Amino acid sequence: MLDRIDPRSPTPLYAQIAGRLRSAIAAGDLRPGEPLPSVRQLAAELRVNPATVVQAYRDLETEGFVEMRQGAGTFVREVATERRARERTRVARQLIRTLIADAARAGIPVADLVAAIEHELGAKTS
Amino acid sequence: MSHAITIDGLHYRAGKAFEISDLTLRVPAGAIYGFLGPNGSGKTTTIRLVLGLLRPLAGRICVLDALVPNDVVRVLARTGYVPEQPHLDHTLTVTEAMRFHAAFYPTWDQSWAERLLQDFELDPTQPFGKLSKGQKGKLMMLLALAQRPELLVLDEPTDGLDPVVRRDMLEALLDYVAQHGATVFVSSHLIHELERICDWVAIMDRGNLVSELPMDRFKAGIKRLKVAGAPADLAGLPFKVLARERNGSTESWVVSGWQPDMTAFFERGETTLREIIDLDLEDGFVELLRAARRPVA
Repeated sequence: MLDRIDPRSPTPLYAQIAGRLRSAIAAGDLRPGEPLPSVRQLAAELRVNPATVVQAYRDLETEGFVEMRQGAGTFVREVATERRARERTRVARQLIRTLIADAARAGIPVADLVAAIEHELGAKTS
Repeated sequence: MSHAITIDGLHYRAGKAFEISDLTLRVPAGAIYGFLGPNGSGKTTTIRLVLGLLRPLAGRICVLDALVPNDVVRVLARTGYVPEQPHLDHTLTVTEAMRFHAAFYPTWDQSWAERLLQDFELDPTQPFGKLSKGQKGKLMMLLALAQRPELLVLDEPTDGLDPVVRRDMLEALLDYVAQHGATVFVSSHLIHELERICDWVAIMDRGNLVSELPMDRFKAGIKRLKVAGAPADLAGLPFKVLARERNGSTESWVVSGWQPDMTAFFERGETTLREIIDLDLEDGFVELLRAARRPVA
């Protein structure tokens, strides 16, 4: 779930890590009460600055997704169903925004884009 | 101590060809600070000055709250150093090299040294001269880490090593930093590696500091802009244009000091902003160096 961070992206690494974890919590892959990897472990695994992981965890704590317990680690909090749904919607919109921007750059009209999405989903009627 | 290293007005000369004139630099305590620059830009010289191995002609160097070179012994006792060229006696075995090194550092952690020896899969009975390049690199990193330093100064520690060795060394380094909060000052040509681990980045060229910024700000501030209706004279722009190139009716600018709200600037004038393209650290590094060498008129 965290193997797709991209150091070359303009999105700071802490924001990428927080984003992946937020999505995992929203999707229910990370369940309430479940511990996140320790800062030390995750920093070594991703080969990033430990301060980057700390910042990602702090951001998630501020947003109410996790809880940092002194000496014990960081744990996923109970997140309301609506909140998780909202988070999924937010991610979905972000994905689409990127898609639309890329399509515009490639000179693809929105109608063609929608048709392509329908085709991929196999949802083409008639 | 807010900074692990501060350098002010540093001046150094080696022969007629190479000079560092008026170098000022700040390494925040606890940072992983990437020190970039082409060959011959003064990275290793700066590192050697910081460690008191060279004497400056003028200027002030303060490391871990002690002045260099006056108080260098106090600095070296708390600093782990991995030099560009490993400098151990070739006849010493790995164990002997460890004992030799440990004798200089009261903070030496023997049990952790032995852990690293296993993690790095080093043979303790091998003489240093018989080790491969990667094994030498790992041993140098082991020695620097097991002395439990407050500051690590790494001069191209993983350059020229294979990816497996680099990964092992970086993991050990980051593990140490996570536990002890040490400051790391690291020079390298492996820009993508630095892009992952550093929270600060500095760029040297021909003995001058071209840029020194937090990594996120560096990357957010350097962009390629596609503009139409560009003026001949670039005076009065809120950002700096490092390079400009004409493609038909549009121009491509590489800019530094960019901020998102600067799009407002294009809404007022005749110049239209068509696109903002992100650059990674390597692109930013190359563009900054080019601009430093021949500024846009």
